[in-house]
Amino acid sequence: MTSPGRRIRPLFTLYLPVMPFVLFALFPLYFMLITSLKKNSELYDVTTVPFLIKRGVTLGHYQLLSQDTLFWSWFVNSLIVSVAATVVSVVIGILAAYPLARLRFPGGDSFGVAIFVTYLVPPSLLFLPLSTVVNRLGLSDSLWALVVTYPTFLVPFCTWLLLGYFRTVPKEIEECAMLDGCNRLQTLVRILLPVAVPGVICAALFAFTLSWNEFLYALVFVSPAELKTMTVGVISELIRGDIYYWGGLMAGACVGSLPIVIAYVFFLDYYVSGLTAGAVK
Amino acid sequence: MARVSRRQFLRVTAGGAAGALALGRAPAVAQTRELTFLSIASFVPETDKELKRQFEEWGAKNKVKVRLDIIAHLQLQTKKAAEVQARSGHDLTALGPGLGDADLYFDYLADLNDVATDVAPKNGGWLSQSDYLIRGKWKLLPWWQPPFPMAVRTDLLEKLGEKSPDTWEDWLRVGKKGKAMGHPFGTAMGHSGDANVTLLSILWSYGGSYVGKDGKTITINSKETRQAMDFVKRLYTEAMDPEVLAWDDASNNRCLNAGKCIAIHNPISAYESAKKDKVVVPGTQKEIAEVIDHIHTPRGPADRKATTGFWCVGIWNFSKNVDLAKDFLRYHFQPENLNKWVEAGHGFNMPFLTNLTRHPVYKSDKQYRFIPEVAKVTVPPSWPGPNTAASQQVWDLYIIPDMFAQHATGKMTADQAIAWAEKEMQEIYAGRKRKP
Repeated sequence: MTSPGRRIRPLFTLYLPVMPFVLFALFPLYFMLITSLKKNSELYDVTTVPFLIKRGVTLGHYQLLSQDTLFWSWFVNSLIVSVAATVVSVVIGILAAYPLARLRFPGGDSFGVAIFVTYLVPPSLLFLPLSTVVNRLGLSDSLWALVVTYPTFLVPFCTWLLLGYFRTVPKEIEECAMLDGCNRLQTLVRILLPVAVPGVICAALFAFTLSWNEFLYALVFVSPAELKTMTVGVISELIRGDIYYWGGLMAGACVGSLPIVIAYVFFLDYYVSGLTAGAVK
Repeated sequence: MARVSRRQFLRVTAGGAAGALALGRAPAVAQTRELTFLSIASFVPETDKELKRQFEEWGAKNKVKVRLDIIAHLQLQTKKAAEVQARSGHDLTALGPGLGDADLYFDYLADLNDVATDVAPKNGGWLSQSDYLIRGKWKLLPWWQPPFPMAVRTDLLEKLGEKSPDTWEDWLRVGKKGKAMGHPFGTAMGHSGDANVTLLSILWSYGGSYVGKDGKTITINSKETRQAMDFVKRLYTEAMDPEVLAWDDASNNRCLNAGKCIAIHNPISAYESAKKDKVVVPGTQKEIAEVIDHIHTPRGPADRKATTGFWCVGIWNFSKNVDLAKDFLRYHFQPENLNKWVEAGHGFNMPFLTNLTRHPVYKSDKQYRFIPEVAKVTVPPSWPGPNTAASQQVWDLYIIPDMFAQHATGKMTADQAIAWAEKEMQEIYAGRKRKP
């Protein structure tokens, strides 16, 4: 039987020390949630405590999102674009990271660095030249414009992350597979990838999060209301000059956080191990 | 099944991509006429609904597919830049919040001389035609403005025993008394459109200006500017809270509707949203909209002047539908359509056409009675200079708010702040910082 002292110890060594960080991290979500549930009259009242709901809960802001805007279309668009861009980027990232991690060829190391540097180029510099490319490809005002452009910032990160992870996997198991008759592609698919699942999931999660939150390209490359992604749609409809529909904006932010929260809840362990394995290499 | 080699695959995909790039567009499956319009989310949502209705009505009459795309006004600059870069995008575009946009994009905008000439006589003529010409040409149609009256709390004024404050000095006095009882005056002094509007209004009202009529001479360094700056310093320290330095365009609305501010210099949007949301005076059941009034924009020692967002509409000259777009503009600018559109916007969206400033909506609610008066003293932000890319940049870079704020907060003396602003403006007008 465990002694009471041993049972209480984690409270002081783990839970209490972690508590401030948890509260700090959860505060924005909490504030978003209560703002989305407050009535407008309470939102405007500077005399009330902003962290509590005093005058009753309303679902009016969620109703506004669902009934007066195309919110759910935007949600689906965000989902389609994020999943497609993630799949494309992770596949390309795997195919780019593998040779950089395993093959020796002139300029290989510099190429790896160059890929990472590409990740550092801000989208605010790239959107102007990319708008010409998107237009020339005839993809303007379609979700394809985003599926094609998001990998410009997703692929470098996925490649860089997977490169680090692949290098942590011992070469020897691949060499054994090759001795048994596997070619390079088979080695990658049958031997390396199953071992590197945490790294791949980590890259996919990160790519999905970046795509889900992306604003600038979604604003510039897609105009029709029904094709907007959630980030742009909510801002377009709920910021009207000097009137901000705070309740609606926060309701949109709450619903918009859910897929990310769910994804991380399911894959958090993979994410952490994928990220740290690549990092310590 | 025939095997495709890696080399063949690369050749075909590269060829396809190159073909699409060279063609400049995807293969057309069917050619239908489509007219697209990029506009900003109106401050009064019904305005957009009416515009959409008119656009669709025109489309149905002319058998043209139409698409109205709405974005938040703060995102318009980004969107325009991308469309000009790609030489593709919407046919019609909103321009603003200043007329200088048309100088910035002069080479990419279609001439609208014919449309401007057609629509003016039907609507009693343009309010101030010479202000709207860019390099002597109609490159845009001035579309709507939200005049800036003073939005005030009548119950608080009554409590203070103040009746009809009319000058900026009056508002300093009222603000001081209001601040003492927890109801300060409120005007943005940070990077926001409202800060540009109000501080330019004060500058002019004290006889100052930042550029001469020639559009070249920087005139900010004057004793009138110093007087205006001293006034704003007193207004900031004695009648306002420091939070105004961080305010965006929504903050003053919030301050009034939250029952905090005694007055703000703002269009009727705060009142409209208070009315819609049934916001009450804190601690009472009384709706705050009932104790809000709008009065004339204040007068200064030299003049009574104000500015506002000059929202305009233009047609990209790379559009394949310039004639169709002009046709829609003629349709939208027909008196009956403009009338309906102004009514939908509760008068917030006042066109720059004489007859529309006398729209019945301005008599429908006593709140709106001063709007036409304010419009009469409203000038473009570059006044007395012409609207140019440089004047637009002075606006976009918030040179005027920064100059006032640096002095008001004590970071710089008036002379230092003016010297800083003068240097910035000289560089901008010399073209060194001009946007491409």
